This record gives sequence, structure tokens and C-alpha cells, in this order.
Amino acid sequence: MAHIQQSAVRNRLLKVMIGEDFARLQSHLEPVDLLVDQTLIEANIRTEYLYFLESGLGSITADGTNGRVEIGIIGREGVVGASHVLLGSDRVPYRHFVQMAGHALSIRAGIVSAAVDESPTLRKLLLRYVLTEMIQVRQTAIVNATFEIEVRLARWLLMCHDRAEGDELLLKHEFLSMMLGVRRSGVTLAMQQLEGAGRIRARRGRITVLDRELLEEMANGSYGTPEAEYARLIEGA
Amino acid sequence: MPRYFFNLRYGAGLGKLAVDPEGDELADLDAARQHALQCARELVAGSRSFAVRDWFACSFEVEDANARRVLTVPFSDIVPEDDDED
Repeated sequence: MAHIQQSAVRNRLLKVMIGEDFARLQSHLEPVDLLVDQTLIEANIRTEYLYFLESGLGSITADGTNGRVEIGIIGREGVVGASHVLLGSDRVPYRHFVQMAGHALSIRAGIVSAAVDESPTLRKLLLRYVLTEMIQVRQTAIVNATFEIEVRLARWLLMCHDRAEGDELLLKHEFLSMMLGVRRSGVTLAMQQLEGAGRIRARRGRITVLDRELLEEMANGSYGTPEAEYARLIEGA
Repeated sequence: MPRYFFNLRYGAGLGKLAVDPEGDELADLDAARQHALQCARELVAGSRSFAVRDWFACSFEVEDANARRVLTVPFSDIVPEDDDED
């Protein structure tokens, strides 16, 4: 099979990699389809593959006694599974699964580990990416502790919108409830407030972003810091 | 198991009802009531909303799959009253 060309990839990390580093991974990248609910990384089991997302949305979740809570999302700016593997662990206590369907380039974890051992530039890029994941998670902790559910919902919708193909987000309330760590009726309530203000339109399982600027206004500064850090650290903005 | 829909009443009028589009499967009406109380507890404990000044003024209007109201659970029911045990 022909190798993936760097000029054709959509993943933002693969795009900005220097050609030499891309070449280290190139022949090992395998295109795969991502189906809704598909598990990419099992909790507490050795991670065999990492996934550079080309489209779609991956979700990191923790199962607790009070149900499942989402603790991070990854789209085409990232690599599912990179953080623990690059920091020296072959497993992680969180399940990673597909929330919105899409495509990815999968690669064996061992290949990536070996490549970062050989290349300081690749190591630096991918560790900076890991830092941006940490920043996102920390931001979520801040936001969940201090903001109203409407603000939290606005932030998550913006984050999903950043990673989606258009203005339509296929997200069930059940998932939003997990994302925000709030009961489904809390999500419905918040959705109604955003909808009433003309920011979104919500139909069963389908949310349309009508006015992104208004949504950012509602997010009230809770959105944007991790995104700006990503641009600064990864893309040199 | 029957499916129940937990519509959240947070004020008077049509606009102040957050309609549950998905519902939950529960064994019976009593299980539905327990579920509503648990949801109420978590909302009171962990959520602030611009739309709700006082969670204790809210209630769940529970409907069955035929959109018939089968139960109303005020959030105040999560606090047991000494002389009002049923």
C-alpha cells in the first residue's frame, strides 16, 4: 500500500512535524475508520496502538461509583494514547473511545516510543502536545468548579465545534451529561438557555451551532486558554 | 421495563420546562420517583444555573412513554420532613 503523504494529512501534529520526523512514522501509519462508541484504549490494559485523529472526536472517560465522567476530548489536534505512552506508562486507568465518527492514522505505540528516543525534535513536539492535554484537563477542573452549567456547556460545545467538520454536532444528551458531569436534566436545562438565546439549535442527538460568537460570549473566558496554548506551543502562533 | 421522561419544571409557564428527550428505563413508578430524587440531589449539590435561582422551587414532572404525567416530584422532597413521612 502507498504510504500516507504528509501533504495529505489533516492531523495538526503530523502536519507541523519536520519532514524527517514524519518520515520516521510514515510507513507505520495505517488509516482506520472510527465508529461511534468504538473503544480505542481500554482502561488498565496495555496500549498497543496510538491514533493520530484525522477527523472525529475521541473522549477520555473515567468510570466511578456515580457513573461515567468525561475528563478530556481529543480531535485532529491530537493523538489518542500519546500522553501515558510518552510519559513512560504502557497503560492508563481511563477508557478512550470514539464520540463522533471519523478517521485516524493508527500506529504501534512501540514505534512512536522508539522514534522519540531517536529524535529530540519529535520528542519535543509530542511532549508539548502532552502538555496541551494537561492544560485542557486543568482548565476543565477550573471551569467545573467555578462556572454555571450554561457556561460549561458553551465551552464544551465550542471545543466539539473546533473538532467537527461543520456546524452540526451529533451528540446525545446522555453524552453531554457525561461531558459536563451533570445529570441529563441539567444538560437539557442549559441547552434550553443557549437555544433561547439563539446560540444553538438542539434536536434529538443533533446540535447546530448557529452563532459561534454568541457561544463564545456565553463561555465567558472559560474557553480559549488551552486552545491558545496549543497554537503557541505546537504551531508557533 | 417502562421508559420514563423526567421533565424539569423550573418556573411557571411553557418556557420554563426542560423537556427530557431521551428518558430512562426504570422498573416501576417507585423506581422512577427514586431516580427523580437522586437527580434532584445531584443538581442541588453540584450545579449552578443562570435559569434557576432556587433549586428547591423546581420539580420533576415525570411522564410515561405516552406523554401522560404519572408523577410530580418536588425537589423539596429530598429533604425529609419530620411529620410528613409517607
